[in-house]
Parts: sequence; C-alpha cells; structure tokens
Amino acid sequence: MQAQFALWNSSKTSAPTVDKGAEDVTAKRTLLNAEPGVTYTIKEINTDDDEMNSFLFRLGCYEGEPITLISKKRKSCIVVIKDGRYNLDNLLSEAIIV
Amino acid sequence: MRIAFAGNPNSGKTTMYNALTGRSEKVGNWGGVTVGSKEFQLKKEYAGGKEVIAVDLPGAYSMSPFTPEEGITSEYVRTANPDAIVNIVDATNLSRSLFFTTQLLELGIPVVVALNKTDINEKEGTRIDATKLSAKLGCPVFETVSTENKGLSEMIAKAISLAGTTQEAPYLQADIDLHDKNAVDAEDRKRYSFVNDIVADVEKRTVLSAESQKSDKLDAVLTNPIAGILVFAAVMWFVFWVSQAWLGPLVADWLVGWIETFQGWVAGQLENSPAILSALLADGIVGGVGAVVGFLPLVMVMYFLIALLEDCGYMARVSAVMDPIFKRVGLSGKSVIPVVIGTGCGIPAIMACRTIRDERERRATSMLATFIPCGAKIPVIALFAGAFFAGAGWVSLLSYFFGLLLIFLGALLIKGITGYKYRKSFFIMELPKWKAPSLKFAFRSMMERAKAYIIKAATIILICNTVVQIMQTFDWHFNVVEEGAENTSILASIASPFAILLIPLGFGVWQLAAAAITGFIAKENVVGTLAVVYGLTAFIDTEELAMTGGANTVAMTMGLTSVTALAYLFFNLYTPPCFAAIGAMNSEMKSRGWLWGAIGLQLCTGYTVAFLINQFGTLFTEGHLAAGFVPGLIAEALMVLAVVMIGKKVRSHFDEQYALHKKASKAGAAA
Repeated sequence: MQAQFALWNSSKTSAPTVDKGAEDVTAKRTLLNAEPGVTYTIKEINTDDDEMNSFLFRLGCYEGEPITLISKKRKSCIVVIKDGRYNLDNLLSEAIIV
Repeated sequence: MRIAFAGNPNSGKTTMYNALTGRSEKVGNWGGVTVGSKEFQLKKEYAGGKEVIAVDLPGAYSMSPFTPEEGITSEYVRTANPDAIVNIVDATNLSRSLFFTTQLLELGIPVVVALNKTDINEKEGTRIDATKLSAKLGCPVFETVSTENKGLSEMIAKAISLAGTTQEAPYLQADIDLHDKNAVDAEDRKRYSFVNDIVADVEKRTVLSAESQKSDKLDAVLTNPIAGILVFAAVMWFVFWVSQAWLGPLVADWLVGWIETFQGWVAGQLENSPAILSALLADGIVGGVGAVVGFLPLVMVMYFLIALLEDCGYMARVSAVMDPIFKRVGLSGKSVIPVVIGTGCGIPAIMACRTIRDERERRATSMLATFIPCGAKIPVIALFAGAFFAGAGWVSLLSYFFGLLLIFLGALLIKGITGYKYRKSFFIMELPKWKAPSLKFAFRSMMERAKAYIIKAATIILICNTVVQIMQTFDWHFNVVEEGAENTSILASIASPFAILLIPLGFGVWQLAAAAITGFIAKENVVGTLAVVYGLTAFIDTEELAMTGGANTVAMTMGLTSVTALAYLFFNLYTPPCFAAIGAMNSEMKSRGWLWGAIGLQLCTGYTVAFLINQFGTLFTEGHLAAGFVPGLIAEALMVLAVVMIGKKVRSHFDEQYALHKKASKAGAAA
C-alpha cells in the first residue's frame, strides 16, 4: 500500500510537466488514494451502474457534497457521508472521485 | 384506520411499532432488520377508543427502491392508501432522513414526523428546533425516544386525529418527464438542496460527524481484516460455549430432572391402565416431548446472547469485515447477517437475504444459510455430544464452524455452476452508532423464543411423536407388534427402504432413517423420534449417562460407533432444513430451478459429509473401510455427474444470452 502511495505521490508531483492526457489520469483522485482524516468534496460518482449511483445519491453522496475518509484498510474503507458512517469496499471507493 | 410507519433503515420504526402495539417483532441495531410489512392493532391506551392498525414497513432511503425490501415500502405507501403516515426520522442523521420525508409529504396523506433517538442527540449536544422544523415541513414534529416510550402517546394521538385530512407538501417535484434521467437527477438535486437549507436552519451541532470519535478506534480494530475476523471468531465461540457447553447445560440438567420426575409420576398414574396407553402417554408423549423440551435452556441462552449482539451494533461491523472473504466465494458481506440470524432459526435467516441486492448472491445465500445449525438442531447436537462424546463442547463448536465451511464450499460450487457473472458487486453498509445492548430486550427476545419452542413441542412435535409411537406399535393389520418382531411395524416397513440408502453412511437401520425423515417436519423430531423408537427417554440426561456409562448403552442400542454417530449427526445437520424453511426458500428464490437446486445441493452435502466421515473415520479407527463403500462411491459419482451436467446446461444458457447480447450491442453500434 505504501508503494501505491509513493507511486501516486510521485505522479502528482510530476503532474505539471506532463501532457494533458496524463494529467487527466493523475487528476482523478478517488477515495482509494485519498488521505484518511481529510474531508473532500465529491467531484464525480461513476460506478457504471445507474441504480448504484442513485442509491449513493439518496444517502447524500453526490457531486459537490463533502465526504470524509475516516480510515482505510486493504480492501475497504470507512467514510462519513452526511451524518452517517459507512463501510465501502474498494470497488466503490474507486468510483468516488474527490 | 391504518397508520403506516415509514422512514430510513435503522431509524427505530420497529422499536416504536413494538412499543405502540405490544408486539415483539425482531429489532436490531443495523439497517435492514425488517424485511416485510407487519401490522397489528394499537394498544388501547394509544388508540383513543378507535380501532387503529399500525403497519410497520421495511426501512427505505427514498421512494425509488434499491433492494427488494425497500420496494415493499414504496409500493405500500403509494398503493395501500394508509390513513396517516408516521415518518420516523433518525434525529442523528436529519440531513439524510428528510429527503424521504419530503417525498412522503408529497403523497397527500397526512404525515407526522417522529424525531426519534433524540436521547443520543442530547448526549452529543446536537440541537434540533422541532417547532421550526414543523413550520418548514408543514406537518407536526414530535421528539421521541422509542426505546424509552418517550413522546409516543402525543405523537400517535396527533396522527390519529389527522387521519383523513390532506397533507400540503412543502416541496413539490416539478412536472418532468420521469423517463428523462437527467431531468429526474436535476429534480432530486433540487430536493436535496431544499433539505440542506432546512437542516442548516434548524440543526446545531457541537460535535461534527466528520470528527474522529472514540468509536472510530473500535471500528478500526473490528473492521481490520485480521483482528476483526479473530474477534468475530472469538465472540461466536464464546456464544456457543456459554450456551451449549456451560450455562445452557447447567440449567438443562436441572430442567431434565423435573421432566423425569413428571414422567415417573405420569407412569405411576397409569400403572393400572393398558400397557399401550402407558407407553403412548409416558414414553411417547411425555418422554418424546420432554426429550426436546429438556434442551430448551441451551436454545434460550443462545438467543439471549445473539440478541445482545444484534442490539449493540456489532452485526454491521461483522458484515463489513467479512465482505472481502465472502466476495471471494461469490457472496457478499451482507450474507453474514442471514448466517448469524440462522443460528436461531433458518426462516428469518432466509428472509433476511432480501437486503442483498444482487439476485445471484441473494439466491445463493438463501440456499446456503441453513448449513449453520439452527436452534432446532441444538437438541440433536447436544444429544449426540452427550451420548457419544461425553458431552464434549467441541462437537457443537465443530458443527457450527463446519457449517460455515460448507457455506464457503457451497458458494464456490454455485459460482462454478452459474458461471460467475462479471457484474460489479459493490458493498456499502452503514455502521450504526454503538449502543449498550438492552438486557430487557434480550430477555424478551429469549422468552419469545422459548414460548415458540414450547408451543412447537406441544403441537407439531407432540403429534409427530404420537404418530411415530403408534406406527411402531402396530403392524399394517393394526395388530400390536410383538417383542422381537419390531421389524414388522408400520414404521419399520416405511423407513426400511430409506435405510438401505444410508448403509454406506454407517447408519442403515430403519430407526435412524425414520428419525432423519421426521426431522424434515421439524429438526427437534430427530431427538423425539430416537427417544420413542429406542425407548430411551432417559438418555436425555446426558450428564448422568456419561457418568454411569449409559452412553455405552445408548451406543449399543443404537448400534453406532463414535464415528458413525458423528456421521449421523452431521447428516441431520446438513441435509435440507425443515419444510417450513424450504417454503421460505421457495418464496425468496422465486425460481423452481434454484429451489430444486438448493434441495439437491443440501441432500448431496449431507450425504457426502456423512459418507466421508463414516468411511475415512472407520478406516482410521478400525483399519478398514466401512460397509457399502462401493455403492456409496457410485452414488457420489452420480452426484458429481449431475453437478457437471447442470453446470454445463446453465453455462451454455448463459453463453447464449451473452452472445445475443453481444450481437445486439454490435447491431446497436452499427446503427
């Protein structure tokens, strides 16, 4: 996991020098590579599953809303959406772009 | 008059419903405990002289359902025209709850908002201005604490008085084309911003939800892939150990003493009556039912402990920590909840599968959940542990953990047969706030179970025992079977053909076959029937038998070694559950193919497990394979062949579908 972090960090620092296409890739920070303890604003939700997207919406998890990453495990994480705590698997955290 | 209870999952609807009606419907501290609607009359003190029916509905986040149980709620409030709606709002999560509230307010049915769990808000220093909220929503708002009956009578009186009036909506969805996804999204967004504005106005928090709290440290441990699973294993071990090796048997011994005294008394009263009557009453009815009731304390202690677990908020954490493992075998973390509920009874466990969104995962879970021994199987386990293994606690622990192993293996098999669909299986589970489990609630849940258990023993099991007793007393000409000619009885002639099939498993005698068959009516029957057919009603006192060497008598009478006894026990645990549970499976699966697949899988599993234990166990203990190895092996080969054929058929069907889909999408792309 640390290696992953390092990878992401390095690509972030090198971001200004690379071309636009690559920048798009690095700019897509998802919950998967976010920092625990930080509150982010959701930029985009993309689960490729309309029903799932609208379910998340009803919980208050949609663009422009805050989301806080409380803790992170290898295959899941805990977040705060509105005033509730939820456990998400990586598939879902990957689909929440912050 | 009907009043519907609607609100977000885990907002406390059923707790409120129970308080207002006096019922004891299942409650628990996680979202999705209630999976079907339930209705009952309000208690007189709340109904105000009117006949009022309260309708408890499954939790929902909105009017558009995501999982099957959410659909029940939106369907009900839309089509059943209740006279009023009590919208239970979780006051600790106002911002999320009001989304659904504003939708309910649009229906025109009078709504009363119950701002529930206000005690937690008081503790956390969160203040909600109820008067202001009421003005903004255009409906009455009452602060309630349903666990303490606070604010309920005023709230429900208001709801009753409003029945029949029309609700004005504070927010109306614009007339949009409901098929236009973007328009719907935009409308929903507007609704949420309306809600957000209200919340900003009426709610003041001193502790922000996003701040790290003490409970987060606990959650971090409990959802840790290693520590969390170890804790779960330890907790379950503790529950089983206390209920089935320590406290449960302690109370059971005392109870069995009383039952035996009673049986002796009945036999004494019948001293001068015909022998048949005495046998029927003293051995058949009192003995058989007593054998089952004697194990009641084990079941009660277990229910008490599971109720504590369900009440504190641990279940959601277990679900979260087990998700990665369950996902690997093609199930979901939500499958854990049916498994834990299944330790009590298979029927609510199968119904709890409704909260699983994916159809394949849902069906697979309801197919496998009953591999976990339920409360009715506890007497069977305890009987065999006592008679053959000197009451060893490991037998019951092994039964549960082996059941869990079978769930994993079964899930892998189902995944193999159905062909894993590469649909993304997301997992999201709300982690509710921890709460101290209520002893009162756990006690009630335990007593409720005890009542159901005794009623079952006094009805179904009593009837079965009587029938078994009669069937083994008479032959087909209704002559009393003579001693030494037991094989001519009705029961023997019916059960014998089945017994032949069981020879490779080590227990091919008609008595054991008969007990296994009656077990499909109710699993406790296995114990009752054994007690009747062997006339061994005293062997329920397992403790004493172990001390006086009675276990050997039992073993000799039943013709079982410890290996074949274990095989027989596991056969009864892992074959299909009782008919009632099969019925529940049928209604949840909604597919003949899946239902027969489930029954077939369970029959094959029970047979295979018993076959392997008997053959290998005999090989290890006696140095040779047990009788009927070759026929058994042939039976196993046939099962494997059947699985392969079904798998092929299902997968080719799947390929066909997939191919069609591909063609269609290509055509679509070309167009």
